[in-house]
Amino acid sequence: MLSRVANNLFWMDRYMERSYGLLNLIKTNYNSTLDTGDYDSWNGILKSYMGIDKNISNENYQDSISVIEYMIFNNSNPNTLINMITKARENARSVQEHISREIWVAVNKYFLKITNKKFYKYYKKNDPIDFINELTQFHHIYYSVADISQERGNAFCFMNLGKYFERILQSIDFLNVKIDILESNENNLNESYFWKNLLISIGGYQLYIKTYKSIFNVENIIEMITINQFFPRSIKFSVDKLYSHITRLNEFNKPETNSLTFLTGKMKNELTYTSISSIKEEGLKNFVYKIQYDLNSISNEINNIYFYQNN
Amino acid sequence: MKLIQNYSQYPEMFDEMFDKKGITRDIYKNFEKFLKKSSVKNLNSMKDFAQQFFMNQGVTFTVYDNDEGVEKIFPFDIIPRIISYSDWKIIDSGIKQRIKALNLFIKDIYHEQFILNDNIIPAELIISNPNYLREMRNINVPNDIYTHISGIDLIRNEEGKFFVLEDNLRTPSGVSYMLENREITRRLYPEMIPREKVQPISDYPNLLYNKLKSLSNKKNPVVVMLTPGLYNSAYYEHTALARLMGVELVEGSDLLVDNHYVFMKTAGGLKTVDVIYRRIDDDFLDPLNFKADSVLGVAGIMDSFRQGNVVLVNCPGAGIADDKAIYTYVPDMISYYLNEKPILNNIKTYKLTNKDEKEYVLKNIDKLVLKRTDGSGGYGMLMGKSATKEEINKYKLKIKKEPEMYIAQPTLNLSTSPCLIENSLHPRCVDLRPFALFGSDGIEVCPGGLSRVALKKGSLVVNSSQGGGSKDTWIVKN
Repeated sequence: MLSRVANNLFWMDRYMERSYGLLNLIKTNYNSTLDTGDYDSWNGILKSYMGIDKNISNENYQDSISVIEYMIFNNSNPNTLINMITKARENARSVQEHISREIWVAVNKYFLKITNKKFYKYYKKNDPIDFINELTQFHHIYYSVADISQERGNAFCFMNLGKYFERILQSIDFLNVKIDILESNENNLNESYFWKNLLISIGGYQLYIKTYKSIFNVENIIEMITINQFFPRSIKFSVDKLYSHITRLNEFNKPETNSLTFLTGKMKNELTYTSISSIKEEGLKNFVYKIQYDLNSISNEINNIYFYQNN
Repeated sequence: MKLIQNYSQYPEMFDEMFDKKGITRDIYKNFEKFLKKSSVKNLNSMKDFAQQFFMNQGVTFTVYDNDEGVEKIFPFDIIPRIISYSDWKIIDSGIKQRIKALNLFIKDIYHEQFILNDNIIPAELIISNPNYLREMRNINVPNDIYTHISGIDLIRNEEGKFFVLEDNLRTPSGVSYMLENREITRRLYPEMIPREKVQPISDYPNLLYNKLKSLSNKKNPVVVMLTPGLYNSAYYEHTALARLMGVELVEGSDLLVDNHYVFMKTAGGLKTVDVIYRRIDDDFLDPLNFKADSVLGVAGIMDSFRQGNVVLVNCPGAGIADDKAIYTYVPDMISYYLNEKPILNNIKTYKLTNKDEKEYVLKNIDKLVLKRTDGSGGYGMLMGKSATKEEINKYKLKIKKEPEMYIAQPTLNLSTSPCLIENSLHPRCVDLRPFALFGSDGIEVCPGGLSRVALKKGSLVVNSSQGGGSKDTWIVKN
């Protein structure tokens, strides 16, 4: 497989995963603002997802509806949903001979839907939750189609690298959005709404309730997102997946160095032997920083070995 | 029923479905039955279905307007264009004959140049031609084949006889639309297609792959397709062919040349490439040999080709034979190299290098179509009939400057085919581009081809860049 194609497959899935995360986060925050009326909560998301550092709660964005509109439809910000889906589709278009026809059609249909002017008008008239659910459907189709129609070769592995890489970065983002509050260890009521809704929207609520009953405790939430091995959006789960796909890529392509499997294996094992008390001891900020550092090293190695070889 | 009764033919043109008296031709009889049974509503919903299908599959092309690329679907008309098997046999043998002669000509031009020495074709026409590549002199190419993939544009005159309008021997495009058009008509006419014994075309990609494979000495050569990239107007076609053949679609930056071998950069390291079906023009192929500022091609690829380490398809320099000025000599080539009479004729063409012919052209410019000899895609053309005085005067000045760059042909009468336009059937001009493949085991012409349609009323220009569309072409054996 061409290095360029591998790179494009990686990014196709990164953009899809990030868009999915954005939709979930929008839904979560919208729901919790309905409970709390705390519109300032959008600022954290605008900062980490849209790269907007300034407080934009000016006259243009004083309500949830227009903030959501901005995050989905704004053309000039590269991080909005419409622009990410355009990029995912552009990547898919350039690797059509490596992905199943079904995946291509799923991405292309999503792109056609979201860029359709009629769809924008439809947003203006409808309940945002309904609307976001409709968009989320495209992601569910994408995941299932990829699962049942894509052959398990190089392409599948590179797609999954992109997916889980992005997923870890998002979990870090989730933690970063609220890290100061988490560190202060205050169990304030507004925050528990946010976490509850977040867990609901990413499918972790059931598991959380089953494990911890309905007590919203910050420690438990951190455990879920970082080291829970059954929760498909936890950092631990995603790193395990990264490791298994990197091992398979290693078998397929037999690179000259095994530095990549080494780095990922190390990270995987470190997480296996991390507990919530060791995170507390280390400090959440330090823990997150270390994860980011390890991910960076892995990302550099993927680039060196598969995407931009020095030959 | 009304659909057919209200159909009004263009005067002086051959209609594919009806004769001059308005009676349906035999090959369209079954289709007529279908039309009589269908309502306009029914046909319109078939049309919508087809559009949605193309859109979802991403069967699109890019049109450049004000530097902004817009993705569009290639307009598709649901009424098939039907050609009888006996007509097809003439086309098939005519195209084979033509391609055989053209290849002998290209080989001759880049080797002994007998045809120039025997004064069949004036030498200055070749030597001064921008499509003549000195880099190709005395290079032997595998099996002496230069044009592995060709698209020959045919039109029909008022009597329904086929003529060759143009040979496309460089990187003819449109074959993916031919395949997609059939995909959709199979869905639209599930009963009629098998009943009419419409000749299948879906094995074109396999055929193409096998021809490409046969060009290498290796048992399992690596075949790739080279595209200029995502922003090329024919990018859809490149991805479709690569996908259907199961080969890598590479860009120039994915390849490199080392020690006169071509490699592609893969996740598993460098991999040798043996055959390249390139969709990049000669000029952009190799910055070391041609345009130095081209980033689309691969530095050193021509040297690798000269050494015989890689096969380029079609061969560089093949464009010398599809130049519009050379076109006028194709019948002479057929008799010179094959000692045969052309099965498919040329259209009368005036050479502006000839004094008498030039005089005639300038006098009768309103009855003629003028073209640049190096132009393609309908760009740089002058339609004498519809041009303004100012346009004509401007064009005349250009001709005076470089007469060898222009040719003139009488205003063509294309044949017409019924099209579904705004709820009724209207005649629209069509041409036909069949695709021929030339490999070590001979020439094969895919039965059918791309029927391009001029969708504007009265228009003769079928090019997709100028508002043309297409329809499926059925070669029926019944």
